[in-house]
Amino acid sequence: MIELRQLTKRYGRVTAVDDLSFDVRPGVVTGFLGPNGAGKTTTMRMILGLDAPTSGAATIRGRRYTDLPAPMHEVGVLLDARATHPRRSVLDHLKCLAQSNGIARSRIEEVLGLVGLSPVAHRRAGGLSLGMSQRLGIAAALLGDPEVLMFDEPVNGLDPEGVVWIRTLMRGLAAEGRTVLVSSHLMSEMALTADRLVVIGRGRLLADVELDEFIRASSRESVLVRTPDAEELACRLRDAGAAVRPDAEDGLVVEGTESAVIGKVAMAHGVVLHELTPHRISLEEAYMELTRGSVEFGASGTKPGSDRVEFGAHGGGGR
Amino acid sequence: MTVSPATVLHSEWTKFRTIRATGCVLAGAFVAALGYAYLFGTANGRAYAGALPEEQTSFDPMETAFRSLALAQLLVSAVGVLTVTAEYVTGTMRTSATVVPRRGRLLAGKAALVAMIMIFCGPLIALGSFLLSQAMLAAQGAPSAALTDPGVPGSIMGGGLYLTLIGLYGVAMGFLLRRTAGAVTLGSFLLLLPASAPLFPDRLAEWVVTYWPSSAGMGMFAPAPSSGALPPPLGFVLLAAAVLALLLGGFAVFRSRDV
Repeated sequence: MIELRQLTKRYGRVTAVDDLSFDVRPGVVTGFLGPNGAGKTTTMRMILGLDAPTSGAATIRGRRYTDLPAPMHEVGVLLDARATHPRRSVLDHLKCLAQSNGIARSRIEEVLGLVGLSPVAHRRAGGLSLGMSQRLGIAAALLGDPEVLMFDEPVNGLDPEGVVWIRTLMRGLAAEGRTVLVSSHLMSEMALTADRLVVIGRGRLLADVELDEFIRASSRESVLVRTPDAEELACRLRDAGAAVRPDAEDGLVVEGTESAVIGKVAMAHGVVLHELTPHRISLEEAYMELTRGSVEFGASGTKPGSDRVEFGAHGGGGR
Repeated sequence: MTVSPATVLHSEWTKFRTIRATGCVLAGAFVAALGYAYLFGTANGRAYAGALPEEQTSFDPMETAFRSLALAQLLVSAVGVLTVTAEYVTGTMRTSATVVPRRGRLLAGKAALVAMIMIFCGPLIALGSFLLSQAMLAAQGAPSAALTDPGVPGSIMGGGLYLTLIGLYGVAMGFLLRRTAGAVTLGSFLLLLPASAPLFPDRLAEWVVTYWPSSAGMGMFAPAPSSGALPPPLGFVLLAAAVLALLLGGFAVFRSRDV
C-alpha cells in the first residue's frame, strides 16, 4: 500500500507535481499514466525519498520510505535501468545492492535465474542490451522479495518479447498479493497490464479509476453531426436528453443517443444535415482527451479538473 | 534484517573492489610515493656530497624521508573523491540512496571504507617512502636514518594518519562537488596551496605555512618541529578539524539535495 497525500514539488516557479493524492493498493497492478513530463518520475522519486517534497507526504504501509529499516525487503524499485557502473559485472552490481540490505548471496543467484540473466552474470553491465539492462533492473528490484514494487517506464525500448515478459511478471507479482505501481506514457500498454489507472498531467491528478471503469466510460459512442443550423439542432437534441458539445466549425459531437434518433429530430425540426457519423472513442483517444487539457493549456487551463470529475464519478474513489 | 553500518560498509567494500579505476589510483599513490622517494633521496644525497663541510653537519636525513608524500597525497585524495563521484557519474548514487535511504549512513559508510583502506595503506606508503629515500641517501654516502631511530616509527604512523585524513578530505570534496574533475582539481589546488606561500605577503605566507590544514598536518611526520611550526598533535587536530568540517558540509548538502 502506497499513500500519497497532497504531494507537491516545485522547482522555483515551476510546479512539477501539484497536490497529488491517491492510494496504490495491493493485489493489483496500478498503471501510473501521463504524458512525458507530467511528473510521474518526480512523484516516484518523492515516494522514495530521493527528492524532497515541497509539501505533502508519501508513505508506504504507513511509514515514510526513508524510515524503513531495510527498504529492499519492503519496496523493490526500478527507476533507471541504465544506472549501473558500466565496468562492474552483473553479479557484482547485484552484490553491492544485496549486501547493503543484508540479503544473502543465494538470493542473487535466484533472481538472476528468475529474470534469465544467469548466463551473463559475469558480463559487464555496460555491455548489456537495453532489454537485458531492464531485466537487471528488475532483478535488483526483486532482490529483497518486497511486498511493494515500483517500476518507472519498464517497457521503454523493449522488443515485443521483453514487453510481454515484463507484463506477465507484473501481473504475476500482483496476483501474489503485492502492490505494483508501474508508470508509462502509453495507454495501449497500460490497457493490457493495469487493473487500475492513475492518470496525471502537468503534475495534477486527472483520473484515479479502475481500468474497467475507464474503458466503460471512454468507449461510449458519439455521433459527429454537421449542419448549418448547429445551434438549433443542439437545442433540440438537448431537449431530447442527449449531451451535445460543439466541434470544429459547424460540427456537433452528440453523445447519449443514436444517429437514427438524431436524424429524426433533425427532420422533425427541418434542420439540414451535412454529415452524420457514428464514432466509437478508442482508449487512446479517451486518454488523449483526458490529458489534452494538461498538455495544451497548462496550469491556466481548467480542463483537468472537470475531466477528473467525469471519471471520478464512476467510482474512482475508495473501493 | 536491517540496513546497518556493517551492511553498508560491506556493500561499499564490494563497490570499491569491483571498480578497477579506484584501485589503480591507489596503486598510483604507492608508485608516486616510491618514485619520488627515489628521486628525492638521490637528489639530496648528491646535494650532500657537493655541500660544504659546515652545511653537511646540519644535514637531516629525515627531511628527505617523507617529501614524496606531498605528491602522493594528491592521488590519495583522488581515491576518496572517486569513491563518491564514480556513483554520481554513472547514476548509481540514486540507486545507492534508494537502498540506503538514510544519507548520513551512506556517507559514513563511504568515509569509513576510505578511512579503513588508508589506515592500512597510508603507513605502508610512508614506510616505503622512508626506506627507499634513506637507502638512496646511504648509497650516496650521506647520513641516513634507520627504522629503529627514535621518533621514526612515530613519524611513519603520523604519515599514514595524515594520508588517511587526506583520503577523507577527498570523500568530502566528492560529496561537495559531485564531479570528478572539479573535486580532484579543486582538492589538489587546496592541498598544494602552501607551496605557493613564498609568493604571498610575509604575514600571510607565515600564516599559511603554519596554519593551513594540509601544511599544519604535515607536522605529523616532520622530523622535529622547527621553530614556529606547530607540534605534531596540534597539526593533527587542525587537519582533522578541517576534514571533519568539510565532511559535515558534504553531509549537509548530500542530505538536503535531491539525488
